[in-house]
Amino acid sequence: MTCVRGVAQWYRDPVSCLQSTLATLLLEAGHDPVEVLGLSWEFRYHPGDVRPEEYYWPCRRPGDLAGSLLPLHEVTSRWRAIDPADPLGEWRDALAAGRLPVVAVDNYHLPFRPAYRDVHAAHLLVVYDVDGTAGTVAVSDAMPPSFAGPLPAEVLLRSCGAAGVDDEQDVFFSGPVTSGGRWLDVRLPAAIPALDPGRLGLALDVNAAGFAALSGDVWTGAEGLRRYCARMGTAATPELLAEAYTFGWGMQAQAALHGELLRTLGARWDRPALAEAGRRVEQVAHRWTAVRVTAAHGRADPAACAGPLRDHLGSLRRAYQEAHAALGRAAADLR
Amino acid sequence: MREQVPIELAAHLNNAGITQAGDTGGGRFNVWRNSLPGEELPLGRPVDIGGVRFAFPAAGPGRPDNVRCEGQLVTVPPGRYDWCCLLAAGERRVEDEVALHFADGSVDFETVRVSDFWAASAVFGEDEAVATSAMHYPRHVQPGVTAHIWYQRVPVTRRAELRRLRLPHNVALHVFAATLCPSRDEVNAA
Repeated sequence: MTCVRGVAQWYRDPVSCLQSTLATLLLEAGHDPVEVLGLSWEFRYHPGDVRPEEYYWPCRRPGDLAGSLLPLHEVTSRWRAIDPADPLGEWRDALAAGRLPVVAVDNYHLPFRPAYRDVHAAHLLVVYDVDGTAGTVAVSDAMPPSFAGPLPAEVLLRSCGAAGVDDEQDVFFSGPVTSGGRWLDVRLPAAIPALDPGRLGLALDVNAAGFAALSGDVWTGAEGLRRYCARMGTAATPELLAEAYTFGWGMQAQAALHGELLRTLGARWDRPALAEAGRRVEQVAHRWTAVRVTAAHGRADPAACAGPLRDHLGSLRRAYQEAHAALGRAAADLR
Repeated sequence: MREQVPIELAAHLNNAGITQAGDTGGGRFNVWRNSLPGEELPLGRPVDIGGVRFAFPAAGPGRPDNVRCEGQLVTVPPGRYDWCCLLAAGERRVEDEVALHFADGSVDFETVRVSDFWAASAVFGEDEAVATSAMHYPRHVQPGVTAHIWYQRVPVTRRAELRRLRLPHNVALHVFAATLCPSRDEVNAA
């Protein structure tokens, strides 16, 4: 974690801008990002919903990206359109009210992003200051190469307003379904109590119940995972293979953070079963690597990658099973 | 005393993960076609990392410089070893298995764990073999995004003569060099 001009940044290699931007909001509010971002853990796939955005997440509450990512906290969010008559006004108002706007941008227009003037890709930034006199907006981006500082307002607005553009260089995070001209208004609770064994145990029970529950149109839990793996293992098209890279990022990032949280707390509280469960959850995250990368490289020739992909999907399901068995032991130990 | 034994990987090199700043377009380390900056690497030279001597691969335009793991069966100089040491990097964090084949017909599966190559830290307790100051993109050099190669070990627990090893069927894992460290039994016998 580093502090740059008053705004805090946080990053882990498995996360995307979705987690890193919310982490900045959490840090500004005095919360530990891993404790909050790592508390919920689920499998959730919405067939037909995956959009080519780095920050894609299958939302259990439509339109509420942050609240869907953090269902165990009283967090809510909604997308708001940028007002063309006063594009900076709402950001200034949100900042005055103590909220940091999260803006959707196209990396192609941002001088500090590697994709600048090269690749169109949907990304998130945090706005932490608006200087109407200077005509600048201060933004924070914790994703490497990290940046925090002022941008000319017209540059940021051009990036925000860019409509979705298909870019063959980035089939995972660019496309016409990515809408521009919007920002995410996130509301955090006034207080988030620190985790103790009792509160963590309740969270583990909620996560376990979700994994055991039956799946419907939305593919959730163990049954949803089974359906997802069956589909990917038998009928993967180039589109589904590309989608796996995008969709899998969210699943991988959440598993990595949940695992890190449990392993860290297990060590802090001297609860070996909890630490072991955390490591098992991290193994799920690492199994997602094989699925995502095999699918991404194999999308040009689905038949050629079908065998290894099936093997990796099988390993992924086993990793989830082992992790949940370990979580059951850890939860029992916490009671 | 028996010395460390480098594993010959030349026949298995299948990926161009290293480029020069003036010619980054041929890089294919990851799905984004990023590559490691050759200017910052000991190309074609022996390197000592943590007391283990590795033969770092050469690199050049259109020339593969690492093994992207697709289940290759690698023959090794027969011997009793304690560790298979790797210079490796992941396209994101990798945990998978290597199959160790022994002269007596036994086979052991051992876990290989390698951290991400892209702006990451070692999450599996590896030593950092290489950390560059920049990342190569297909059309530019990006300062401030580091690239990493990790020194990781795979244990050889069986006290038997190792003959071959099967790399994982996992294209996220890239091996740049490998060296076998002889077992203490063999060292003492020598």
